[in-house]
Amino acid sequence: MAERPGRRRARISADIGGTFTDLVLLRDGAIVSTAKVLTTPNDPSGGVYNGIQDLMRGHDPAEAAEVVHGTTLVSNALIERKGARTCLVTTKGFRDVLAIGREHRYELYDLFIELPEPLVPRQRRFELTERVLADGTVEVPVDRDEVRSLVPVLREQHIEAVAVCFLHSYRYSSHEEVVAEILRAEMPELSVSISSHVVPELGEYTRMTTTTGNAYVQPVFAAYLNRLERSLGELDVDAPLHVMLSTGGLASAAVAMDYPVRLVESGPSAGVLSAAFFGAGSGSSDVLAFDMGGTTAKACLVEGGTPLQAREIETARVYRFAKGSGIPLRVPGVDLIEIGAGGGSIARVGPFKLPKVGPQSAAGDPGPACYGRGGTDPTVTDADLILGFLNPTFFLGGKLELDVDAAERAVGELAGDLGLALIEAAAGVHRVVNENMANAARMHAIERGRDLRRYSLVATGGAGPVHAWGVATALGIRRILFPPNAGVASAFGMLTAQPAFDFVRSLPGALADTDWDTVGTQIAAMRAEGAHQLRGLGVPNDMLEVRLGADVRHRGQGETLVVALEEGLEKDPAPQVEAAFEDRYVTLYGRRPPGVPLEVLTWRVRVSGPRPELGLGEGRAETRGTLKVRRKVWFPDQNEWIEVDVLDRYAVAPGDVLRGPAIFEEVESTAVVGPGASIRVIDGGSLEVTIHD
Amino acid sequence: MIEPALDPVSLEILWTRLISVTNEQAAALMRTSFTAIVRESGDLSAAVFDEHGRMLAQAVTGTPGHINSLATSMEHFIARHPVASLSPGDVLITNDPWKTSGQLNDFSVVTPAFRNDKLVGFFGNTCHAVDIGGRGLSANATEVYEEGLFVPIMKLYDGSRPNDDLFRLIEANVRAPNEVLGDLHAQVAANQVGADRLNDYMDDFGLEDLRALGTEIVTRSEGAMREAIAEIPDGDYEKTIHTDGLEEPIKICCKVSIRGDSIVVDYAGSSPQVARGMNVVLNYTAAYTNYALKCAISPEVPHNDGSFRPVTITAPEGSILNPVFPAPVAARHIVGHFLPHAVFGALEEVIPDRLVAEGSGNIWLATVRGAGEQRFVTVFFAAGGMGARPTQDGLSTTSFPSGIASTPIEVLESTSPLVVRRKELRPDSGGPGQYRGGLGQTIEVEVRTGEPYVVSVLSDRVRFAAEGYRGGEPGMTGGFLIPPDSRPNPKLFVHVEAGRRFVLELPGGGGFSPPERRDRRAVERDVLEGLISEEAAARAYGA
Repeated sequence: MAERPGRRRARISADIGGTFTDLVLLRDGAIVSTAKVLTTPNDPSGGVYNGIQDLMRGHDPAEAAEVVHGTTLVSNALIERKGARTCLVTTKGFRDVLAIGREHRYELYDLFIELPEPLVPRQRRFELTERVLADGTVEVPVDRDEVRSLVPVLREQHIEAVAVCFLHSYRYSSHEEVVAEILRAEMPELSVSISSHVVPELGEYTRMTTTTGNAYVQPVFAAYLNRLERSLGELDVDAPLHVMLSTGGLASAAVAMDYPVRLVESGPSAGVLSAAFFGAGSGSSDVLAFDMGGTTAKACLVEGGTPLQAREIETARVYRFAKGSGIPLRVPGVDLIEIGAGGGSIARVGPFKLPKVGPQSAAGDPGPACYGRGGTDPTVTDADLILGFLNPTFFLGGKLELDVDAAERAVGELAGDLGLALIEAAAGVHRVVNENMANAARMHAIERGRDLRRYSLVATGGAGPVHAWGVATALGIRRILFPPNAGVASAFGMLTAQPAFDFVRSLPGALADTDWDTVGTQIAAMRAEGAHQLRGLGVPNDMLEVRLGADVRHRGQGETLVVALEEGLEKDPAPQVEAAFEDRYVTLYGRRPPGVPLEVLTWRVRVSGPRPELGLGEGRAETRGTLKVRRKVWFPDQNEWIEVDVLDRYAVAPGDVLRGPAIFEEVESTAVVGPGASIRVIDGGSLEVTIHD
Repeated sequence: MIEPALDPVSLEILWTRLISVTNEQAAALMRTSFTAIVRESGDLSAAVFDEHGRMLAQAVTGTPGHINSLATSMEHFIARHPVASLSPGDVLITNDPWKTSGQLNDFSVVTPAFRNDKLVGFFGNTCHAVDIGGRGLSANATEVYEEGLFVPIMKLYDGSRPNDDLFRLIEANVRAPNEVLGDLHAQVAANQVGADRLNDYMDDFGLEDLRALGTEIVTRSEGAMREAIAEIPDGDYEKTIHTDGLEEPIKICCKVSIRGDSIVVDYAGSSPQVARGMNVVLNYTAAYTNYALKCAISPEVPHNDGSFRPVTITAPEGSILNPVFPAPVAARHIVGHFLPHAVFGALEEVIPDRLVAEGSGNIWLATVRGAGEQRFVTVFFAAGGMGARPTQDGLSTTSFPSGIASTPIEVLESTSPLVVRRKELRPDSGGPGQYRGGLGQTIEVEVRTGEPYVVSVLSDRVRFAAEGYRGGEPGMTGGFLIPPDSRPNPKLFVHVEAGRRFVLELPGGGGFSPPERRDRRAVERDVLEGLISEEAAARAYGA
C-alpha cells in the first residue's frame, strides 16, 4: 500500500494482560478511543483482533502509523512451562551448570523451599569438546563434525529450539556462531539462540538460564507475532508492529523475535512509563509508581522521568512468590518490586494473635466475600467496602454489585478472633496491608540509596487509588497523583515509549589494565547494531541518542555498580570511569575506601530514539453531574465516622480546587483522599493531592 | 502501670515497623561494607535493644551464626559500660570471641540511642571483617593469640570523639587496613541510621520510650515459643554424630530435653577442645542450636529477648562446644555447621515431619596458592547435597545450614590462574529413600601457571556419610583426589606438582523414608536423567 502523507496521524497500542486486553487509539498525541476486551489465552492475537475492531469503530484503519504492543505471552510461557521442546549445547563438563545454580538458599529458616526445574532436562543438555579461556583465547577449537553429529539426535528427540552457551563466549563468540551456522543449515526449521548474541555477559549460570529462556519461548512467540501481523492485515491496519521491552523501550517485531526473553516484563514496564509520563506532566519527574491490583502490588522508582533499571529479572517463581525461587534472567528491565498485596489479599489471625494480610489471595475466583461468588475469607476489598471507601452499587461502574453483608460477616469473624469491633478490624486490615506495601517500598528505595520522602506517589490499578493515601502517609510522602484513564494505563504508557535497545559486553579486568582499543571496538559495534535496529523503527542516525555505562567495582567486592559515562571515551578514559564511579559510589554509600583499585566487568550501551510527541490531553469534564452523594467513611487514622463528599471523577475539570476528605469514583477505581489535604485537578485531568502536616 | 494496652492492629504495625528499622540498619551496613561475604551473603547481624539491653528486634539477614549472639553480647557491654555512664555520641566495640560470635574476625559495634537526651535503647551490629591479622582465617592456630588482634570491650567513640589510638592499633595489625577500617566506619554509620530512624518512628507513633511495646513483643514471643514447645511430647531425645575433624574425628553428643514448655539442649559427652582452630565458643554453639530449633519448631517467631527464653543450651567447659580461653577458634564453622544435624537427629523420633535428613554439612572452602615464581591466592566455595525432606527430595548442591552462594566459574577463571575442567552433579551421591537426598558435585580444577601449587580444602563428610532419616539411606561420602589415585587429607596443605589437577567430590545428602516406597516414576526419571545409574537403581530401589 502506498504511503498517504498527512493521513497517518494515529497510533494504536494493545496491552495483553492476564484477564483483559486494553487498547488505546491516539491521534495527534491525544486519546481519541479506548477499548477493553477479554484476553483470549490460547491465542492472544484473537483478543487483539477483537479489541482493534472495537477501538477503530468510526476511525479509519489506514490512518494508523504504528501499532505498539505489549504482552504477557513470554512470561506466561515461562510460568506455565508452555514453551518449545528445547535443548542446550554447552562446553564439555558443564551441562549441569543449569541445575547446580547458585547453590544457596533464598530463605534461611524454611527447610521446605523449592528451586525451579531447569527449562531443559538433563538428557537434553549436550556437551561439545571445545574450550575458550577467560582471556578469550581458544584452547580447544570446536569440532564441526561433532556439531554435525548432534543433528540426528536433535531430530530423533523432536527438538524445536536450541540454546548454545559456551564458557567465556562473551569474550569469543565464534564457537557458538559455528554451531548456530551448522545447525541452521542442517535444520532450517530449528530456532537457535546463542548466548554471545542474547546476553554476552560474564556469569555462566545466568547466561545459560537467559539463553535457554530465549530459545524456549522463541518458536511460540514467533508463531504468535505472525498470527498477529496477519490479524492486523485483515483489519486493514497497514502499520509496522512495534513491541514493548521490559526496559520500557520499543523494538521492531523482527528484533523482538530475535530476543523474546527481553519481553518478560513487557506489560508492567508500560504501566511504569504511564506513571512517569503523568508525573512529569505534573511537574514531578521523581515519582514512586504504585500499582495495586487484585493479587499483587508493584512499585518502581522513576527518576528524572526515567524508571530505574535493573540488570536482572527473576521470573516464574515456584515458592510463595519468594525472591530467589524463580528463574533469573540476565536481561535489562525496569526495576520493579512485586508485593503479595492486592484487593483479594486474605486477612487472618497470625502468630501472636495479631492480624496479618496476604500474600494468600482470593484473587478473582472466588474473589473477596463481597463479590458474592462464594468467598468467605475476609479480604482487603471487603475491609475497604466496610470502611466506606467503596460504593457497593458503583464497583466497576456498577457491573458488579458488592454484598456488604457478606463482607461484614467475613470481617466480623476476624474481628471476633482479634477481640475488636467490626470497624476496627476493617481499619486494621486496611492499615496492615498499607504498612506491608510501605515497608517493601521503603526497603526497595533504601537499598538503592534513595529517600522516598521527596518523591511523589502515582497511583494506578484497581486498588492503588484506594490505598495510595494510606501508603503515602506511612512513607512520609507528601504528594499523590491520580492519573486519569487508570483502566488503560499500561496501554497508554506504551504510546509514551521511545525506541530503545540495550547492549552489554563483558570484558572483565582491572581498570588500570584495560585495553581501550578493544573496548572502543566493542562499543562501536554495539552502537552500530543499535543504529541498525533503530533504523528498522524509522529512526534516522542523526536522531539517535547513545548512552554508555560500565559495571564497576572495587577489587575484592562482589557486586558492581552501573555507572553512566560520557560519550567519547577516547580521551583519558580511565580517570573518567574512576570519577564516574566515585561520584556514584559516594552518592550511594557516603564515601570510598582510599587506595583500593577498580575493576570493570561489563560495558553497556543504550541506543534510543526520540520520544513521541504527546499531549496530556484536555482532561475535559464529561459532566455527568458533580457531587454524587455524601457518605459516611471511616478513615483509620481518624477513628470515627465522618461525612465525605463522593464525587464523579468524570465531572471534575482542570482548575478545580477541592479539599479532603473526598472520594472520587470512576469505573475502574476509586480515589480516596484523607482529611486536610489540598486537591487540585491539573491539566490532563490528574488529581494532584498535597498532604499537609 | 497506667500504660494503655496496645490494640492488636497497632501492635502489629509497631512491631513490623520496628523490624523494618533494623532492616534499614542492616541494609545500610550491607551496602557500605567492603567485605564481599557481608554484602552478598548477609554475613552480619543488626538489632535494636531497649534501654536495659533486652533485644526487641533483629534484622532478617543471611546467616544463622549471629542468632542471638548479639543479644548475649549486650549483657557484657552493659556490664562494662553501665547505662548511666553513657552519653550521646558514644560507640562501643569488641571482637571478643567468647562474648560475641566466636571468632576474632567478627567485630560487634554498639551505639546507645538517645531521644531528647534520654537513653531509650541501643543499636548493635556484628560484621565479618576481611582480615584481623594473625594466621588468617584457618584452623591452623594452636591458641587464639595466633589468630589476630583481640579487642576487649571498649569505646570506639567517646561522646563523638573517635578513639584514635584504637583505630591506629587496628590499622597497624591487619592486612587490609582500608577495608577493615572502612567496615568499622560502616558499622558505626549503620547504627546511627538505626538510631535516627528510631527517632522518626517514635515521632510517627507518638512514643516516648520503648517500654510498653518491648514488653508486649517479648512476652508474646516467649508465649508463642512456649506454646510451640508444649506441643512436643516431653522426654529426653539424644543423638551422637561424628564429623571428620582435622586429623581425628570429632564427636558431638546432643541431648534435647523437653519438659512442658521449655527445652534444655546439652552437649555433655562431646569431644574435648582441640589445639586447632575449630573450637566453637558457647555463643556460637547456641546460635546454631537455636537456629535448628527455630527451623523445626517456630520459624515464624521473630528473634528477640523473649523467643529463646524457654531454651537453655549447655556444653561442658573445656569441650569443643564450650572451649576455654585461649583455645583457637577461627574456623569454628567446620564443627558448628554440624550442630543442626545433631539437634534434628535427636528430634527425629518425635517430630520427623518437620526436619530435614543429614546433608553435606559445612560448605567446602578451597584455597589455592602458588608455590612457584608466580604468586597468587584464590578462594572458592562449593556446596554438596542437602538431606531429603519428609515429602520432598533433598536439594542438590545447596548449602545448609549456611546460606552462602558459590562463585561463577567464569568469575573464578577471570580472576585467577585456575581453569575448571568440569563441574557436574555426582550421580548416585544422593542417599536413597522414598525421598532421595540431594546430589553433591564433582569439580575438577587445573592450575595454569605451569608451576607447583598448594591447595587446602575446609571439607568434611569424607569419613562420615550423611545419614538418612526414618529408613532413608546415607548419601555418598565426599572425597579429594589428585588424579589418578592420590587421596591426601585436604584439610592440611597439599602440595601439588606442576600440571597435575585436583578434584573435589562433594558429598550427597541422606534420604528420607525407606527407598522401596519411592514412586517408580521418580526412580525412572532419575535414571533417565542420569542422576542415578541403572546399577544403583537396581541395588537401592530394586528397579
